[in-house]
Amino acid sequence: MENHAGGTSEGHGLVTGVEQVAGIEQRAWVASEIRQPEISKLKPPDSLLHLEKGQVAALIGAPGYGLTRLGLSLLADHAEDGPVAYLDVRGWLSPLAAWEIGIAPDRLLVVRCGDVVRWGRAAATLLDGVHALYAEVPNGVRDTALRKLGAVARRNRTPLVLRPLRGSIPSGVATLRLEADTVTWEGVEQGHGRLQLRRGRLIASGKAVHGMTRRVEVEDDGANAVRLVSDMAVAEVGRATG
Amino acid sequence: MAVNALAVEAGVRLGMHRREAEGICPTVVTVVGDPGAEAARFEPVVTAVESLIPRVEIAIPGLLFVPITGAVGYYGGERALLDRMIEEVESVAGDGFRFGVAGGPFLAHRAAELAAGHPPLRVIEDDAEFLASLDIGAVDREELVATFRWLGIATLGDLARLPRAVVVSRFGAEGMAAHRLAAGEDRSVLPRAIPADLGVEERFSPPLTDLEQASFAARALANRLIESLRPYGIAPHRVLVEAEATDGSIRARTWRSADPFDDAALADRIRWQLRAWIEGVGSEIRGGLRALRLDPTDLSGAGRQMSLHEDARSAAETHRALVEVQAIVGADALLHAEPQGGRDPNERVSWHRWDEAPAAPVRDPDAPWPGRIPSPSPALVPPSPRPLTVEWDGGMPTRVRLGSRWEPVLSWAGPWRSVGRWWVGGGNDLADRYQLVTSAGAFLCEVRAGTTWLVGIYD
Repeated sequence: MENHAGGTSEGHGLVTGVEQVAGIEQRAWVASEIRQPEISKLKPPDSLLHLEKGQVAALIGAPGYGLTRLGLSLLADHAEDGPVAYLDVRGWLSPLAAWEIGIAPDRLLVVRCGDVVRWGRAAATLLDGVHALYAEVPNGVRDTALRKLGAVARRNRTPLVLRPLRGSIPSGVATLRLEADTVTWEGVEQGHGRLQLRRGRLIASGKAVHGMTRRVEVEDDGANAVRLVSDMAVAEVGRATG
Repeated sequence: MAVNALAVEAGVRLGMHRREAEGICPTVVTVVGDPGAEAARFEPVVTAVESLIPRVEIAIPGLLFVPITGAVGYYGGERALLDRMIEEVESVAGDGFRFGVAGGPFLAHRAAELAAGHPPLRVIEDDAEFLASLDIGAVDREELVATFRWLGIATLGDLARLPRAVVVSRFGAEGMAAHRLAAGEDRSVLPRAIPADLGVEERFSPPLTDLEQASFAARALANRLIESLRPYGIAPHRVLVEAEATDGSIRARTWRSADPFDDAALADRIRWQLRAWIEGVGSEIRGGLRALRLDPTDLSGAGRQMSLHEDARSAAETHRALVEVQAIVGADALLHAEPQGGRDPNERVSWHRWDEAPAAPVRDPDAPWPGRIPSPSPALVPPSPRPLTVEWDGGMPTRVRLGSRWEPVLSWAGPWRSVGRWWVGGGNDLADRYQLVTSAGAFLCEVRAGTTWLVGIYD
């Protein structure tokens, strides 16, 4: 605003100001406690657990199956490029899990919004600006709104993870659908030990798996991104596998 | 647009259309602006002020800012300094100048615009009162101002009284900038050197003697500077331009901008400055230009921290989107988190608004915290513990109620006992933590006074 011509051409608008301290606004962030994952343990880019730009994935399952950490793992790759966001409907996200997976604190934005109308606008706007988005989906969001959101994600080439709090996502929105099947934990016995390793089984379907249904097993040790350990095509009843 | 004193006397005002000005003053002459020529004519004034206080910043040819606090004592008082400055400027530029003194560049400029009489000086005693009284036109965005007026917002005080989130929601980033200005959030004046390795330099052999050649070099160097800063996600609000002549003498000027410089705007200023030096009397570059150096000062990351590998162009888009998100969900709902020392998952996170700098950690995250819940951490943590129905048998959990069904506990770990802050009287705050594993997942819970609470879900 002060670059607009404010003085006269003959006269000189001469101003003085009170001195204040100015300095460089750049500062370095040091995340001292949160360990960064070893490169060798990161999931390979061509695995099922890597979202391409503009790809939409749906995570289906109740809390407890590890889907939040899986979703954060899908964001982690893209956090290298810039900020990623978590649209938190319930306000329960703990960023500790994101930091353990390898998302730097300054790269994770958390947006708390439970209102259905504002949720849609916030999600669409976030897709314009962040490098990946994990959105919990509140009850009451219409199918058309989710389809539009998917279109925005594809147009902006922003990876989008949708996690409905209840129910599912309409067909055609997500190219990859991962539905929780089973979950087990290692490290805990009857009154001793501690949680160390989660093994989960997911049912993968959608265009990203070429229309087939696949059973995938994943592991999560809490210190790295969730990794794929096995991947098996599952024949649908009544159809032949080729 | 600009008007000279005679035209002002006739009733012509800044912002008028040419036809309107000619209607009021038929003899008015319209000339095409030439910032380079204006910079050359302004150079003696800059030199005169610089002879008193060396830290002058030029906003545009015809407008400069200088911090005076540090120099007031040396000259025996503010009034003494101002009298001296007026005298110096009069001696090189005659009449037609105006002075304003206030707590920041924006207010000082507005004060100068209102200065009248002899000497043409306006000193603002109460910045807040003056700021609030300014007409909304001071925002200087024509369409935005028109809308503000239509809404009944007549002054900056009226605008400042509106909640920022409402203004941003309606008007976006422009509204945010206007509200910040109305709230007195102005950039300070103090060119300060920053590490030399962010500067760029070009040496010319043979030395440049032609303004066109120098302008071409200026554009290339400006582009080099901006591009060199881009990977860091920063851009300068001020740039020190230094020109070295073949005789070894160095001319230097600081240019400032309310918005971060891009390469085109910076190249323009360098070109104007070089023209002022080359064509000016007494401050010319003798023998030709041997070297040109640009040092950025007052670097801005556009309001947030950026990291390496982040493209500053996309960072601007991100910033715009987040401003809009903030307006949609509220400023307190767009958050960053920082690690904090502690034992519980909630304790170990410090939240802050996206557009605010984080506070220093209250508890050292690097210190050992015996009794801390080990990783993996639960991904979902309720803001406060929730009642959880668990059946116990002889101190061992047997089943957990999840929604409408019971889930048997397959395995469990604990208890980890927390005794609270007994040294400040919190010794009765005993709690035992457990990790419970069911076929539906694992849960972190704590038992306090016989009641079980859900503290986290390992999702």
